[in-house]
Amino acid sequence: MEQRIVDFIAALRAAGVRVSIAESADAFRAVNHIGVLERGEFKSALRATLVKDAKDTPTFESLFPLFFGSGGPPLFNPTGDLTPEEQQMLMDALRALANDLRRLMEMLMQGREPSPQEMQRAGRQVGLQYANRPFQKEWFAKRMQRQMGLEQLDEALQELMEMLAAMGMERETRERLEEAARGNAEALEERVEQFAGENIARKAMEEKQEPSEADLMQRPFSALSENEARALRDMVRRMAAQLRSRASLRYKKGKRGALDAKRTIRANQRYGGVPIELRLKTKRLKPKLVLICDVSTSVRYCSEFMLRLIYELQDQVSKARSFIFIDDIKEITSYFDAGRPDTAVEAVLNDHQPGYYNTNLGNSLDTLTHDHLDAIDHRTTLIFIGDGRNNFSDPRADLVDQLKRRARRVIWLSPESPYLWGTGDSDMYAYQPFCDAIHEVANMQQLADAVDRLLG
Amino acid sequence: MITGTHDVRDALSKQQYVASDEISTVVLLSEKLQKPILVEGPAGVGKTELAKAWASATGRRLIRLQCYEGLDESKALYEWEYAKQMLYTQLLRDKLHDVLSETQTLAQAADRIAQEEDVFFSERFLLPRPLLQAVTADEPVLLLIDEIDRADAEFEAFLLEILSDFQVSVPELGTMKAKQIPAVMLTSNNTRELSEALKRRCLYLFVDYPTVETELRIVRLHAPDLTPQLAKQAVELVHRLRKLDLKKSPSVSETIDWARALVTLNAQALDKETLENTMTVLLKHEQDVQRAKRAIGTPGASGGSSKSDDDDSVDYRMLGRPRR
Repeated sequence: MEQRIVDFIAALRAAGVRVSIAESADAFRAVNHIGVLERGEFKSALRATLVKDAKDTPTFESLFPLFFGSGGPPLFNPTGDLTPEEQQMLMDALRALANDLRRLMEMLMQGREPSPQEMQRAGRQVGLQYANRPFQKEWFAKRMQRQMGLEQLDEALQELMEMLAAMGMERETRERLEEAARGNAEALEERVEQFAGENIARKAMEEKQEPSEADLMQRPFSALSENEARALRDMVRRMAAQLRSRASLRYKKGKRGALDAKRTIRANQRYGGVPIELRLKTKRLKPKLVLICDVSTSVRYCSEFMLRLIYELQDQVSKARSFIFIDDIKEITSYFDAGRPDTAVEAVLNDHQPGYYNTNLGNSLDTLTHDHLDAIDHRTTLIFIGDGRNNFSDPRADLVDQLKRRARRVIWLSPESPYLWGTGDSDMYAYQPFCDAIHEVANMQQLADAVDRLLG
Repeated sequence: MITGTHDVRDALSKQQYVASDEISTVVLLSEKLQKPILVEGPAGVGKTELAKAWASATGRRLIRLQCYEGLDESKALYEWEYAKQMLYTQLLRDKLHDVLSETQTLAQAADRIAQEEDVFFSERFLLPRPLLQAVTADEPVLLLIDEIDRADAEFEAFLLEILSDFQVSVPELGTMKAKQIPAVMLTSNNTRELSEALKRRCLYLFVDYPTVETELRIVRLHAPDLTPQLAKQAVELVHRLRKLDLKKSPSVSETIDWARALVTLNAQALDKETLENTMTVLLKHEQDVQRAKRAIGTPGASGGSSKSDDDDSVDYRMLGRPRR
């Protein structure tokens, strides 16, 4: 059983559940107290000690039955109450059987458990090592059972019984033996099925190793597969939590400034007005953001993650208004009023599919200055997300200049590295003079750093 | 004496807490292994209630520490009572005078004072906050650290010493070790990821919304005057509401409140009028109320929840479109 639990923990780890040594030690202690008789309690004990994150529960649930399935009752040895003569008869009869059937019948008649080697051999012979899909389990189990001779069980039993009868074994004893053998055969079938399932699960785990988080953070947005993008979306929320606590720590450390006389007097009433605890004025303006996101094909991922991140961090921002553009600009703030950030971002992207080489920032800026200039005032940080590629239309950098005069800061997040600026239809050099900072955000790590600086 | 999971379940049910097998096993384990439990789950499924029930079931005093952003050591562990120290200094001035009268030089006086300074940094002037209370208590206690996810990450790190060794360090006095090992429960609404170190020290228990049967038992316990049939209808409706995409799903405590409201209003059936009047007990956002009304208010509303789910998703899209 201990080996089982060790294997199970290894499988959990392979499936991406973080289990520390201390936790596995806890699992053993817990099992010592609970015992293994009550399956439900045993399972709860393992879950409470090994799985510390609700999102890992499905993995646990899917692996548990593979390792601690009912397993089938132990094979049962019916020969215990046979007389020595009868035992001898059975031995002789078994010896007379064909070679391949003999091994099986020995197991069934004498309750000998199949050794791991025997199981593995049977598995190898049917090609179990190549199976990696859960639904293949039944099929491989069937083939393994055939390989072990379980299909010819009826004939073999009949043959054996006839032999025993010829040797003069009593009918009652024979029937008892047959019944026990059939019971054992069922147990063996279950055992095989579970073996197959377990192997397939392990194989599937080995192959499905997800890319590590650190890898994902560094992977360029342009090279994300659909799966990786999904994994990254899950990470955004966690990252937002990290950024949030960093921001709040900074906020705490940043407590300095002038004496707040009013609050100091109030706080020191209990010391008779002697100012023992000082209260300082804290001044921290949460940034007011206006995001202008390019959602054309080239920068879509970058904009998507930025939007997600900002709206997950809404409590760190006093107000955020967002616009997206491809050929023209649209305000999307209302999406976020109606739903949760992740569903809202999805809806935005669904409703605004990119066209064919039609990005036009110049035109979008024109609309922005005409229709939404009220969004930008002296407290606003204006953030552009895009690669500054305009398909050779007028960049209208003069409008960025005009916006910069109104706004507190203009920050540009570009997924393109500086040495690509100015090549082809890139107008980054035209916009550059009007930006307070330009950050390259080609991957999640850079994006997170940029947002972190923004909140600081 | 608690030996098996059924003992835990019985003890909890005496406190009117319906515990699942999972809950009773984990509680039993925490007793046996003397490890804290980290309880996670949606708001209002009875996480805090579990701690209260278990405290009174085992005759422990409940010490509760409610976490919030900015909670620090001085609020959670201890604080020096400056005012009292000051008062004592004033009152003892004459005595101090006596002590110091024999001294000749300033250095001697300072030495003399130094000999006595322990008086002013003793436990006498220590204002114990929940954590210190739990560690220094003579009688058995249960320490409930509520909504740990609201506290800052640094506070979480500060808790580690208590959770693994049941001791706290007060710089002026040294390390204080627990006289008896307190039972500890932490609750979290999972609004942020807790640190690995903290999770490692705890048993993990995820409490989800109960099944219809369990919730029905809970409602029957807390609102015994509700007719069985109505209780069943009510619980089933709540379960359907939880399937909708609501801003805030109705919690178990809200189901109980609603059941009590139904009793108070002497409701005979869940008709349209009763629902309209009491819906706000269950749902706390106007948007949710509207959505729920659309989902269940349609004629033949009892015709399966899958239909209402579809309706709901359509509504949702419409809400999501920008209004111009």
